Amino acid sequence: MSTTWERVIAERRHDILRRWQEKGLGLFAEKMSPATPMGEAMADAMEMILDGFATGDDLPREGISRLARILAVQSFRPSRSLSVFTALRDVLLASAPDRDAAEVCRKRIEAMTFEAFDSFMEHREKIYQLKVEESRDRMYMQLRRSVS
Amino acid sequence: MSKYLPKQSELVKEFEEKPSVLKGDYEGREWWEMPFEFREGNFCFPAKPEVIKDLGFPNPRKWQPTDDDWKLPDGWQKILKDAMKERLKKYRSLKLYLDSCVRCGACADKCHFFLGTGDPKNMPVLRAELVRSVYRNDFPMVEKILKGFAGARKLDEKVLREWYMYFYQCTECRRCSVFCPMGIDTAEITIMVREILQLVGLNNNWILAPVSNCNRTGNHLGIEPHTFVQNIESLVDDIEDVTGVKVNPTFNRKGAEILFITPSGDVFGDPGVYTMMGYLLLFHHIGLDYTISTYASEGGNFGFFTSNDMMKKLNAKMYHEAKRLGVKWILGGECGHMWRVVHQYMDTMNGPADFLEEPVSPVTGTKFTNARATKMVHIAEFTADLIKNGKLRLDPKRNDHLRTTFHDSCNVARGMGMFEEPRYILNKVCNSFHEMPENTIREQTFCCGSGSGINAEEYMEMRMKGGFPRANAVRHVREKHKVDSLVTICAIDRASLPPLMRYWNPGVSVYGLHELVGNALVMDGEKKRTEDLREDPMAGFEDGEEDED
Repeated sequence: MSTTWERVIAERRHDILRRWQEKGLGLFAEKMSPATPMGEAMADAMEMILDGFATGDDLPREGISRLARILAVQSFRPSRSLSVFTALRDVLLASAPDRDAAEVCRKRIEAMTFEAFDSFMEHREKIYQLKVEESRDRMYMQLRRSVS
Repeated sequence: MSKYLPKQSELVKEFEEKPSVLKGDYEGREWWEMPFEFREGNFCFPAKPEVIKDLGFPNPRKWQPTDDDWKLPDGWQKILKDAMKERLKKYRSLKLYLDSCVRCGACADKCHFFLGTGDPKNMPVLRAELVRSVYRNDFPMVEKILKGFAGARKLDEKVLREWYMYFYQCTECRRCSVFCPMGIDTAEITIMVREILQLVGLNNNWILAPVSNCNRTGNHLGIEPHTFVQNIESLVDDIEDVTGVKVNPTFNRKGAEILFITPSGDVFGDPGVYTMMGYLLLFHHIGLDYTISTYASEGGNFGFFTSNDMMKKLNAKMYHEAKRLGVKWILGGECGHMWRVVHQYMDTMNGPADFLEEPVSPVTGTKFTNARATKMVHIAEFTADLIKNGKLRLDPKRNDHLRTTFHDSCNVARGMGMFEEPRYILNKVCNSFHEMPENTIREQTFCCGSGSGINAEEYMEMRMKGGFPRANAVRHVREKHKVDSLVTICAIDRASLPPLMRYWNPGVSVYGLHELVGNALVMDGEKKRTEDLREDPMAGFEDGEEDED
């Protein structure tokens, strides 16, 4: 990650997080309260993502996964869920010192969005897997008798 | 291409044309004008017509909440208003709850569905307000004072749809009531609304299908008596494989001292069956004179989520069987809403059970005076008493492969006030137990998100959201204490918490309390134990490593 962004985020971390989290909580039909367990979990995940954005070349997969896990069970569409990353891009670009930094930011956000898309879909698939597993568990004795 | 993939034009419509709270389209409007929408994952499927016919309930038909036409019966408003009037007259508590709310908001952030969805209509105060607003508008006297003044509105189809949406997003857990300074129990309002919705054919298949099964065979799963026996005998074989001990449950045996009743999930589903194995080992260990009925083969009571009359009917079999078999008293297994029904309603609903005796433990001589009225004792009280009196030979090291926490089931914790007994047992049967944060346990426990009959597969997304506060508390102890086992004393929890954990906390498994008791029991004549009841290896008990006390 460029030292430019490390410096920008170190200087403006609190403000960037606040603005981004505001947008994230605003995804919900009525804005999710930041003090709820769901609001806090989102804030934690977003913090992990922003820190990962600033400090390394690797994607902050754990933070992205945590955020995608929350978003994958919400009532809004996937596109709306992933718009949380374009929101981050917009917040960050407002602080971009120059054109090169802006380009770095766009590429980085793009990679994170793709990662989030994969993670979102994995969690959607998990929901369907849970339905199958739950049906299997409920019929445990019946299935056992049928194979014995 | 998937049929679920939205077209570009639909997305444009959603973002640009559709009214949205965030765009300020609802500014200055009343709270109930906020939009809501039935979407896959946020409603349970309505009951099938054949199920409704089987029960003799009104308006059997095929419909979906997403339909424009719900095929309501003629005069549905009158049906509902008359039903409300009747219940307001019959239940003073309901009238009190509708009249006395001062909208202080103390309950607002206490509901797990509000915390998980952020939808304000899931605040208990507003959920109840969905009914109060009609009550203010349409009922004499109240109407004269409050109509057009404090949020009054007519009962129209939009209101009805809201009722159906939000009263099935309440698990009747009563966490909100703990914080209400007026003592309002919003669960009772939910119970009443669900009951009157049945009258126009608005219902839930995941509730009514088990009710129909139970009405026919005596248990929610519709297990016939011979299958019920075969399942338990199969578990007896499993117990022998793991422990080398042959236990001998009896069925429908007249003259037994105790009738044992547990939810049918313990006889049929995973992981409930392991809890059943724990019960059977315990009863064998103490030489209990008990029998199991294949007719009263269900402790749970989904009638409770349907109507008072249906709850009464399904519950009646417990006393009928106790009388027919001539037992002295009834012992009940681990369940949530079963105990709410037994503890709060059974005695006055189907009692008095004066043909039974005040329960006395045949092993310790302890009188269960708290069960003097119902004549039915909770298994956790029974087992805690056995341990307290030194009647069980336990080796907690046999659960050293588990690092546990305990989930208080809403109905047992808030409905019965039972907090200590399960913890006492857990601390005696395992060496690693860590409490979740204080505001998420005991009377403040968070619901599993699937109680009161909304444990349907099609409702998985909503269940994951409603169960999030509980999962978040488990995550806390998982990160802090490496907890990997969530122990509970409720059959619905044993069914609903596994997917909740698999989604939010992969690696955390769900156990019944008496499964851990079964693991820890040192049985006479047992073979060398190396595996728990799930046939998972016990830590430190591999071949040649057992440390006998």
